[in-house]
Amino acid sequence: MPPLLGRLTVAIASGKGGTGKTLVATNLALAAARAGSPVALVDCDADAPNDALFLAPVEPRRADVTVPLPVIDADACVLCGACRDACAYGAIRILGGSVLVFPELCHGCGACVSVCSPRAITEEPRRVGEVEWGRLSPDLANPAGADVITGRLDIGEVKTPSVIRAARERAQILHRAVTILDAPPGVACAAVAAIRDADVLVLVTEPTPFGLHDLELAVTLGQEMGIPLGVVINRDGEGVADIAGFCEREGIPILARIPFERRIAEIYADGGLVIDEHPEGAAWFTALWAAVRERAEEAEW
Amino acid sequence: MRTIVFASGKGGTGKTTLTALAAHFAAAGGAPLVLADCDVEASNLPIALRAVETGCDAFAGGAKAVIDPEACRGCGACQVACRFDAIGPSEEYFRDRTYVVDPWACEGCGACVPVCGDAAIRMEPSQAGEVCSADTSVGAMVFGRLAPGEDLSGKLVTEVRTRAARIAEERGASLMLIDGPPGVGCPAIASVTGTDLLVAVAEPTLSGEHDLRRLVLLARRLGTPVAVVLNKADLSHSGAERIRALAAAEGLPLLGDVPFDPDLAGALERLAVGEPPDALGDPGRQGTAAVRRIWFSVAEMAAAQGPLGE
Repeated sequence: MPPLLGRLTVAIASGKGGTGKTLVATNLALAAARAGSPVALVDCDADAPNDALFLAPVEPRRADVTVPLPVIDADACVLCGACRDACAYGAIRILGGSVLVFPELCHGCGACVSVCSPRAITEEPRRVGEVEWGRLSPDLANPAGADVITGRLDIGEVKTPSVIRAARERAQILHRAVTILDAPPGVACAAVAAIRDADVLVLVTEPTPFGLHDLELAVTLGQEMGIPLGVVINRDGEGVADIAGFCEREGIPILARIPFERRIAEIYADGGLVIDEHPEGAAWFTALWAAVRERAEEAEW
Repeated sequence: MRTIVFASGKGGTGKTTLTALAAHFAAAGGAPLVLADCDVEASNLPIALRAVETGCDAFAGGAKAVIDPEACRGCGACQVACRFDAIGPSEEYFRDRTYVVDPWACEGCGACVPVCGDAAIRMEPSQAGEVCSADTSVGAMVFGRLAPGEDLSGKLVTEVRTRAARIAEERGASLMLIDGPPGVGCPAIASVTGTDLLVAVAEPTLSGEHDLRRLVLLARRLGTPVAVVLNKADLSHSGAERIRALAAAEGLPLLGDVPFDPDLAGALERLAVGEPPDALGDPGRQGTAAVRRIWFSVAEMAAAQGPLGE
């Protein structure tokens, strides 16, 4: 395959959890790097980030993810209530002659700051998570090399989308030819933050009734967002749900099938890489990388 | 009433399968119960138990900003005010001089509204999903359906639990079983808060151990006791040892192992159509038998906190 021209952002998602997103994202990132494209793999599953467990980037660096939290200057505040009325999330209340801010409800939008006429509101950063990034050892990702970026939500915090956006900003700074986004499960705001503006959305599913049901939801989301789709059937043979029939009706190509094999589950369980440890692993993920590129090129036309 | 939530940091560890089978054993033991599927982004418990929907109510969402292209004169103040990168010039900006909102990025904060000199922006309410009731072979069920891309999953989870609690009261149920969402974020917090016991469904994998660790930290913070079930236990010996070591180090009771048993899917099939999921003495159905034993341990733990049925 000729070298990649321009840049490509591939999101790996699924409605249902545990279908194999991490398996596909980590091995696909290595396949792309080994095929000659510099890669940034972004773990956007900030609730349960696992990519770095498999790839172990060397000497990772870290940065806090913060959201702005309003701080009220009680001396300047005239208790007019404009901030409370401006807050769409009910995060500001006035009780007993003082203004209270509820950090867990605040989205950090700044609406309260802009409506406060006595300018009694300032903002201070509040940590909700961290981004960690580092380069893979060259023997793993030669010749082009790869970076792994991890978004990690602090326990007890709820701003998963903010952490995902921060992780993706780090990827933009690194500016690799290929960005692979390992999205969180589900179809809500966190998944949207992870897949927004991707060139191709790869949905990983399993042929069970649950897998098919949640695939349908993820397809709806991808189609409404206008992202070209492709499907990977993982644990092919595990169940009898007709994923292929659904994909044919929706006009979505099946990019790869990974068989239901105990050996694959065992490699994954022990933190291994299927691309290296399974005799067919390299063939599967090299072919998947080619199929993803083909899907992107076809969508561009 | 006792509330038990099946949760896991990592997705796909077997929460739904265990919840459904546990519900069967609880119901067979005579405990009237209510089920709540709190994975509102991808609810699978209704599929597992072939729930028959009895009614849904709309779940009101937040709002999204909409810019009136007739009134907008393209000053761009809204783009500056928006911290979610949701507003930008239209694709035809050089012709029409207007700005547009990307509804996928808009968080509905309304910060753009007061800064618009043309009064061209209004907030339009969105429907974020629905809350549904259903009947199953083992008891009443409540579940939610979040509209794709919405950001109120935690609030919808709370709605599901509120409705389930109301039905439990009406029917005199003494037990609520919750099928929780993956992760440790907003929907997980809403699902675990205020429950009596969290049954952590772990798998013996490197990522399973990592994600279980985060879930345990969350449960501690929320003051919910945790017990661990090791699912697909025979998949990796070293992985299983890691989970056991973690449980021991954290002082978490290990309720038991469920083997990697393809027949568990069959057990769900039988249960969904109202047949007993386990034929006694059938050695081919180790998975179901293991879940039965585990359910008795869970019930014992719950009973130790006070009798079921209060």
